[in-house]
Amino acid sequence: MKLDPRTKMVMVICLSCLALIYSTPGRLLLVLAATIVLLLIFRFDPSTVWGYLKPFLSLMLMLFIIQCIFSPGGKVLLSIGPVPLITYNGLLVGSSIILRIIVVIAAALLLTTFSSRDFVLGLVQWKVPYELAFMVFIALRFLPVFREEMINVITAIQLRGIELKKVPWGQKLTIYRQLFFPLIYGMMQKAQQLAMAMENRGFRAYPQRTYLRRLNFILADYVVMLLSSAATLMLIFLQIT
Amino acid sequence: MTYLELRQVAFYYPRKMKPALTGINLKFEKEEITAITGPNGCGKTTLTKLMIGVLRATEGEIYLAGSPLTNYSLGEIGRRIGYVFQKPDLQLFCSTVAEEVGFGLNNRGYDPETVKEKIKFYLDYFELTGYQNAFPLNLSQGEKERLAIAAVLANEPEFLILDEPTIGLDAFRKKLLENYLKKIARLGRGMILISHDESFVNRLAERVVIMADGRIQGCNERKESACYEA
Ligand SMILES: Nc1ncnc2c1ncn2[C@@H]1O[C@H](COP(=O)(O)OP(=O)(O)O)[C@@H](O)[C@H]1O
Ligand SMILES: [Mg+2]
Repeated sequence: MKLDPRTKMVMVICLSCLALIYSTPGRLLLVLAATIVLLLIFRFDPSTVWGYLKPFLSLMLMLFIIQCIFSPGGKVLLSIGPVPLITYNGLLVGSSIILRIIVVIAAALLLTTFSSRDFVLGLVQWKVPYELAFMVFIALRFLPVFREEMINVITAIQLRGIELKKVPWGQKLTIYRQLFFPLIYGMMQKAQQLAMAMENRGFRAYPQRTYLRRLNFILADYVVMLLSSAATLMLIFLQIT
Repeated sequence: MTYLELRQVAFYYPRKMKPALTGINLKFEKEEITAITGPNGCGKTTLTKLMIGVLRATEGEIYLAGSPLTNYSLGEIGRRIGYVFQKPDLQLFCSTVAEEVGFGLNNRGYDPETVKEKIKFYLDYFELTGYQNAFPLNLSQGEKERLAIAAVLANEPEFLILDEPTIGLDAFRKKLLENYLKKIARLGRGMILISHDESFVNRLAERVVIMADGRIQGCNERKESACYEA
């Protein structure tokens, strides 16, 4: 099915709202299943999922542990002496948090099934100012660059003979603190260069922009958009009342 | 003794059908100066990245001082082999030029006085003293290159790999670098130079490996042989 990028954006918003509203693992699993079905319908390549999830793993694990410990209640499953460590309730809350994150990431992956150019076009036709839409576009484009930069720096540090895995925590923090400023500064430099290049090519030289292509809604777009927003609103309503 | 050895190494970049490198067999002695040349995109940088473990060989094995490279961590490799990236920006990450030169020593527990002395020496030698409080990424291309080289040399590794170190250096600075490399070569430290600069290569290298299209094309020796085609 070839849906308009804007329709997919609406679906992403709906799914994310549901993920935030629901708090039980069962419901969240249902939302996740729906998201996966959509991803498959839009021919998302499932072999790349791992690559997107990996950076969030440690965050998810941390949140899971914290939620497990600090949401006591229900049957105690593991305890140190009199202190309950893992409870039934904590486990539920912990797994909900993880599922919620996974749903939001998976829903966002729907956005990768069309080109970022279409994304900008979609926003513009929704009367979002071009400058703003372009900013979003650049942010999307630079995210992988930023990530690569981080990896580069970490590699470079190790190649100077430092065993990052083995240095004590205090020193590691000092190293990371030292790196923070140069990384940000480097990014700012890149941003400035980009701005200069854009102005050289006449970005915003004329107030009116024209576009070669126009996105057009087809009937299916209207139907899908209407159905998914209506369904989401109803589910939210049911959940709240 | 062979210091670094590549056996039947091949490498593919992800999602690429054509190999970046195939059938690479090379040996490097610990005290030898080898140059690698070849046209743009023939795989020189890729080859050196394999040698320092930043990339993993798709096929074949690489040995460092007798054991497989995969047994070493990046940090261990970095302490033995000093690597100067083709793009110096990639390896400058500190807030000042002086910090950059001292980074490795500082974090490996040398005492502050020694570190200070070494920083002073290397800044002096590579004429960076005037910039010692400058932000590394604001330097000019040639200055960045000199800083990257100084930062790596300050660690005093036993082997060096320099990826196009003369790009961006003026004739005088090139001469300085050459002299310094000769000096550490006399101390018995080997190196691999990637360079298109024929005269620079001719004055330094004992062996020239010529690459083309991901393969070793030939090998030009001025001393005993250590290089063979598969
Ligand atoms: N990160 C990468 N991903 C995919 N292909 C790459 C990457 N880096 C280099 N290549 C390709 O591998 C080949 C060899 O590149 P490289 O080793 O940089 O050559 P050289 O240093 O000899 O100029 C080139 O064709 C280049 O396009
Ligand atoms: Mg190169």
